[in-house]
Amino acid sequence: MSDFRASQNKAHPNKTSTIMTGIILLLILFVSMQIWFLFGALNNALEENLYFALTTFIGSLLLALASFWLLRYLPDPIRTVWKK
Amino acid sequence: MEQKNPEKIPNWKSDFPISTEKATHISRREFAKFLGLLSGVLALSNGAIVIKALAFPSKPLEGDHFVCNEDEVPVGKMIQFEIQGDMVIPYILIHLQENEWRAFEQKCTHLACAVRYREEEQKIECPCHNGWFSADTGEVLQGPPPRPLPQLEVVRKEGKVYVRQAEEPYAT
Repeated sequence: MSDFRASQNKAHPNKTSTIMTGIILLLILFVSMQIWFLFGALNNALEENLYFALTTFIGSLLLALASFWLLRYLPDPIRTVWKK
Repeated sequence: MEQKNPEKIPNWKSDFPISTEKATHISRREFAKFLGLLSGVLALSNGAIVIKALAFPSKPLEGDHFVCNEDEVPVGKMIQFEIQGDMVIPYILIHLQENEWRAFEQKCTHLACAVRYREEEQKIECPCHNGWFSADTGEVLQGPPPRPLPQLEVVRKEGKVYVRQAEEPYAT
């Protein structure tokens, strides 16, 4: 017997694909911003600019937390039942 | 038909599915998780910079360091020397004019290429990316370097040249 969720998934087969694409694009955006922060921090830390390094660290940490939080919304893997 | 109490496919089998749709789905999930992991690693790297800045601040140079005798460097020439400390830092000593000496760090502030004094231009050149610094103050004149060259104070005593930490950074 199929339930509401199974019917939904059958009626909108592209839904998980769209959600996954959106999540991956957001993650790429976050990681790009973190690379930018890290580059800036490395460059400025050479001049002993502690406040810049601290600010970018906090920003990077928030982006990492946002990335982890986004992973919660990853669609479940498509699994079939094991038939004996 | 789905069974009432279905047994899950073992992981080793679901990781290598037969249908293309499932394979794509799994690899995209894995990619998203990898991006999440990368995000965490980048945040930790940024934290490492802060810890290094807080726990291991760079120490200023202490005392006078002998470089060479005055007559070893003619006017308009430069020599390269190193100072051993926590790490070995290369410097250049320039004899600009009579009684005019300058000492700068040899690493370009852009990407740490070795800079050199160009006598005909009377400027310091970074040949890697066409960066130019003032030989007098170390200020950036042209090119990609974001900061002036770190400078040491030059002291001459009895025909010998010594360097020491400049009291004001980038001061002549």
